[in-house]
Amino acid sequence: MLADKDRIFTNVYGFQDWGLKAAQERGDWDDTKALIARGQDSIIQEIKDSGLRGRGGAGFPTGMKWSFMPKESKDGRPSFLVINADESEPGSCKDREIIRHDPHKLVEGALVAGFAMRARAAYIYIRGEFIREAETLFKAVAEAYDAGLLGKNAAGSGYDFDVFVHRGAGAYICGEETAMIESLEGKKGQPRLKPPFPAGAGLYGCPTTVNNVESIAVVPTILRRGASWFASFGRENNKGTKLFQISGHVNRPCVVEEAMSIPFSELIEKHCGGIRGGKDNLLAVIPGGSSVPLVPAEQIWDCPMDFDGLKELGSGLGTAGVIVMDKSTDVVRAISRISYFYKHESCGQCTPCREGTGWMWRVMERLRTGDAHIDEIDMLQQVTKQVEGHTICALGDAAAWPIQGLIKHFRPELERRIAEAGNLAEAAE
Amino acid sequence: MPKVTIDGEQIEVPDGATVLQACELAGKEIPRFCYHERLSIAGNCRMCLVEVKPGPPKPQASCALPAAEGQEIRTDSQMVKLAREGVMEFLLINHPLDCPICDQGGECDLQDQSVAYGRGGTRYYENKRAVTEKYMGPLIKTVMTRCIHCTRCVRFSEEIAGVDEIGALYRGESMQITTYLEKAAAHELSANVIDLCPVGALTSRPYAFEARPWELKKTLSIDVSDAVGANIRLDSRGREVLRALPRINDDVNEEWLSDKGRYMVDGLTRRRLDKVWIRKGGKLQAATWLDAFAAIKRAKPGASIAAIAGDVVDCETMFAAKTLLGAMGSTLLEGRQTGMSYPTGNLAAVNFNSTLAGIETADAILIVGSHVRWEAPLVNVRLRKAVKRGAKVFVVGPHWETTFPAEFLGDDAAVVHELPGHVTEALAKAERPAVIVGGAGLAAGVLDAALALDVQRDGWNGFNVLHMAASRMGGLMLGFAQKGGIADIARAEPKVVLALGADEVDWSQFAGSLKVYIGHHGDKGAHAADIILPAAAYSEKDGTYVNTEGRVQFAEKAVFAPGDAREDWTILRALADAFGVRVGFDSLAELQAKMISEVPALGVEGLASYGKLPKAGKTKAKGAIRYPIQDFYLTNPIARASVVMQRCSAELLHGEDLAEAAE
Amino acid sequence: MGFFSKIFTWWDGATIGTSLWSALNGEQVGTDLAGNRYFRAKKRVKAGQPFAGSERRWVIYAGANDASNVPAEWHGWLHGSVDGVPESRLPPPRVWEADHTPNATGTATAYRPQGALERGGRRAAASGDYEAWSPDA
Repeated sequence: MLADKDRIFTNVYGFQDWGLKAAQERGDWDDTKALIARGQDSIIQEIKDSGLRGRGGAGFPTGMKWSFMPKESKDGRPSFLVINADESEPGSCKDREIIRHDPHKLVEGALVAGFAMRARAAYIYIRGEFIREAETLFKAVAEAYDAGLLGKNAAGSGYDFDVFVHRGAGAYICGEETAMIESLEGKKGQPRLKPPFPAGAGLYGCPTTVNNVESIAVVPTILRRGASWFASFGRENNKGTKLFQISGHVNRPCVVEEAMSIPFSELIEKHCGGIRGGKDNLLAVIPGGSSVPLVPAEQIWDCPMDFDGLKELGSGLGTAGVIVMDKSTDVVRAISRISYFYKHESCGQCTPCREGTGWMWRVMERLRTGDAHIDEIDMLQQVTKQVEGHTICALGDAAAWPIQGLIKHFRPELERRIAEAGNLAEAAE
Repeated sequence: MPKVTIDGEQIEVPDGATVLQACELAGKEIPRFCYHERLSIAGNCRMCLVEVKPGPPKPQASCALPAAEGQEIRTDSQMVKLAREGVMEFLLINHPLDCPICDQGGECDLQDQSVAYGRGGTRYYENKRAVTEKYMGPLIKTVMTRCIHCTRCVRFSEEIAGVDEIGALYRGESMQITTYLEKAAAHELSANVIDLCPVGALTSRPYAFEARPWELKKTLSIDVSDAVGANIRLDSRGREVLRALPRINDDVNEEWLSDKGRYMVDGLTRRRLDKVWIRKGGKLQAATWLDAFAAIKRAKPGASIAAIAGDVVDCETMFAAKTLLGAMGSTLLEGRQTGMSYPTGNLAAVNFNSTLAGIETADAILIVGSHVRWEAPLVNVRLRKAVKRGAKVFVVGPHWETTFPAEFLGDDAAVVHELPGHVTEALAKAERPAVIVGGAGLAAGVLDAALALDVQRDGWNGFNVLHMAASRMGGLMLGFAQKGGIADIARAEPKVVLALGADEVDWSQFAGSLKVYIGHHGDKGAHAADIILPAAAYSEKDGTYVNTEGRVQFAEKAVFAPGDAREDWTILRALADAFGVRVGFDSLAELQAKMISEVPALGVEGLASYGKLPKAGKTKAKGAIRYPIQDFYLTNPIARASVVMQRCSAELLHGEDLAEAAE
Repeated sequence: MGFFSKIFTWWDGATIGTSLWSALNGEQVGTDLAGNRYFRAKKRVKAGQPFAGSERRWVIYAGANDASNVPAEWHGWLHGSVDGVPESRLPPPRVWEADHTPNATGTATAYRPQGALERGGRRAAASGDYEAWSPDA
């Protein structure tokens, strides 16, 4: 179990004030000037050494991402940092806690990370539904400006840096990095084609890096305490600490900062008071927010909660939004509901996702009631394969994976429902 | 020049080519819906998926992927086949089975590609999506349930037309393409989205349920609605032209066509002159050809005969008239009906010298007295392209709604003599400066002032005159110009005036003459005429046209003229017999041979050469510039007869609420 | 029916030969409302001939020899669709059944398509139509 002294987010539960003064007492904004004085390459190297991987779901090494940014502007275009606070993934609720209880970690991280990638400004794109959180963030940024921590000569470092907070309008797809850039530019939130990648031509055609809130917020602490400290947690290639968000059928759902690679059992038993109804009552777990395939109880129990551990199970860490389902769950209905979510949130730009998500949801609804033919399970599997990997962005994949996970692990359940519905229909005749 | 391997065959492709273009170079067909050569890349239909190594182990959208050295591309693998089948299945699950009642049937990309790349049957047992109808104006009929969201129409109106008229609402399955607030698409190129639409979502409203593509005879023709000479294809069935579609010609119209050129064809069946009329006692009465010829002969014109050519006549007609008049001993020829009298000694001074395609590359453009959007919509497209590349545009003349940033310098033509400093500086510094003088500019006498501007560079001549009549350049080449314009002809008081489809002339100045109208539509000219001889419209005769850049183009005959109407040259040939003179041709081939021997340039398709620009004269421009076109949709007799054009004019320009919109 | 017309014409009713043959070999089974008389042969078709063993049936028209004069029920009998005469084998006609009318082709009541001159020559617009100009318009 992670010791309290090793926690980065010391106010994640909001027991203390979020304001600048309290944050400074917690150690934020402590000699940020010195952090910046280390120089861009040194900061990036430190982050690379720390083994920090992107906390938004894909797990791309953050330091490497930053190093793709141009070292100097050849044609006068500025660079931008975009911070993704459009946390809409069902099951995820970590960025929200950071923003409302520890916003200065994010704002300071924005300055340091922005400096490291030679960005002119940072845009924080916050989810439209986060009303109080946005208010907090606006105030936090204003406080930082008033204290001279942002703006011209930010934090006395001699570096000019601005932070803008932009509120979204409530579309899940705007959490995709290029769709977020489109939305920031004032257009319809639809993902762009890659290439060109944002690091080459992103926001307003300028080099841009899009990072998750958590990835940015941990940066100042990593720099202060050193890469080796951060790298001391977790397994090789899965270093550091992470905010886990456990929801569903556990006795005490919570958001908790833990070391990476903590076994699932430890996470549940130590922090959540165990599964509702005991270990044997566990049915399945969606370990990383709704867009990763579910894992049945017997496989997840001893699995280390990190990128590679869950990948081996055919799932993924995602945002570490762990959704626990006990045996009272109608698992088909749960996945069907997730399907509906993706159908509702598909942007409609490219064909497989626009048409496929609706089709998958409709078949799922019929499978839920058993009003289907046994062949349709295979057909649905094929349809998910036709969506997966054929779309512009990853939403198509995200819509396909939960269903693939369901078919892989709960096919007998689907067949049982169809058979029962068929028996009922025959009996009624 | 990267080298790529496509299906095992190595090929070198140009720099900047996409994988799709590389595959096309290798002769592989790549199915596509959203990709279009002249629009930006959207990559959203996902039909063009191919397998590319190196790369992720999933199919890639070839339209958006740059071809790179050493790529191994497969268009025939199982993965590609499955991907295409999958995407096609998705496109079809919500596409209605409308083919039997859909106007796109037979020329539908989705139909063709589903046969070639789709699955055999359906696996979709849910309800199909239905979308409410949208109103896009009198030209575009919408059946949005058929839409496959390729966004070609959105990109066209944004990028080519330069008006943000069409866009997408909502997201996911509920996404809908519409005009903002269901306003009619009102720009001059709106109907091109019909050609772009790969399915039957946007179809032609006037042509709705008229014909199937396989019933139609296709004839290559030239648009006469303006002086651009857009290359068109006339689709006819029996004796009626049902529609006009643009042909691809990068030098002239790319692949667009103005709404007027496209939709005035229904005017070809209305208000037609199909018999001979002779004015007796102040009233026109039906008569026979022999009566008419006898009546003209009775006027005994001798050399006192003039010919005035209209805006849509072909060179052959004008040449036949010229030869007839020559045989009678007259040279009273004029084509500038409204009385303009600019010098025509050197045709380079009245030509679009930069060429239509060339104006795209201009970097500073001064427009003097031309409402380009209405006078030549396709040139406006080129101007927009030039501006997108960084050109600056200045306009002398009353304000009109440009589709690109432009600075208006004032209404008075005299501005050209003292251009503001930043304009002269921009023109002087430009590598490819251009000036475009429009009809209104010519009328205000700015030609000399424009010639005085230095817009010539090494290998670049930026002096342009933008005409509005399809017959203008051909007429000038054939000598249809008097020094003083039409006033000279009026002064000569000819006994007989042959009006070759001339409808814009003020006929009161020829009160003493026998006015013989040879034309196809009962318009202003016919009402003023003493004798009407019915002739053929542009779709009903082979003809040569020269566009405003001096490009000689041939049009073919699509259908026969109605009733007693005859091809114009045969009428003039018969008149020669009536007068007892010899013109030296008995067939169209002989006529053309004679014409080409006199004006060799008319025999060669392509740009005619007019030599160097003359020195500027001393004429001073003065007076307010007034654009001659008051109504874009009603500029020639065919368009004025067209119900569709009248409706467009009423609804789009005069804002009338028509029944359809009110519903 | 005059004696001479009976000898010299064939287009109304039976010829003399047919009448004689019918009288000798046939047996009248009934008449329809129009007066057409229906016959069947007394003997079945001999073995060895086409349609051996079947019954020959024929009609002698009351007026013109026009096959469309035969109403539907007797048509069925003539073609062997029913065994006995229609009255005995078919259900009674319903009130909504229209009376049989012979083919009207060539008569004044014949069908004329839309746009036919006999119907006034007004037709829907077709391709190739055009509207001529007139100076009065």
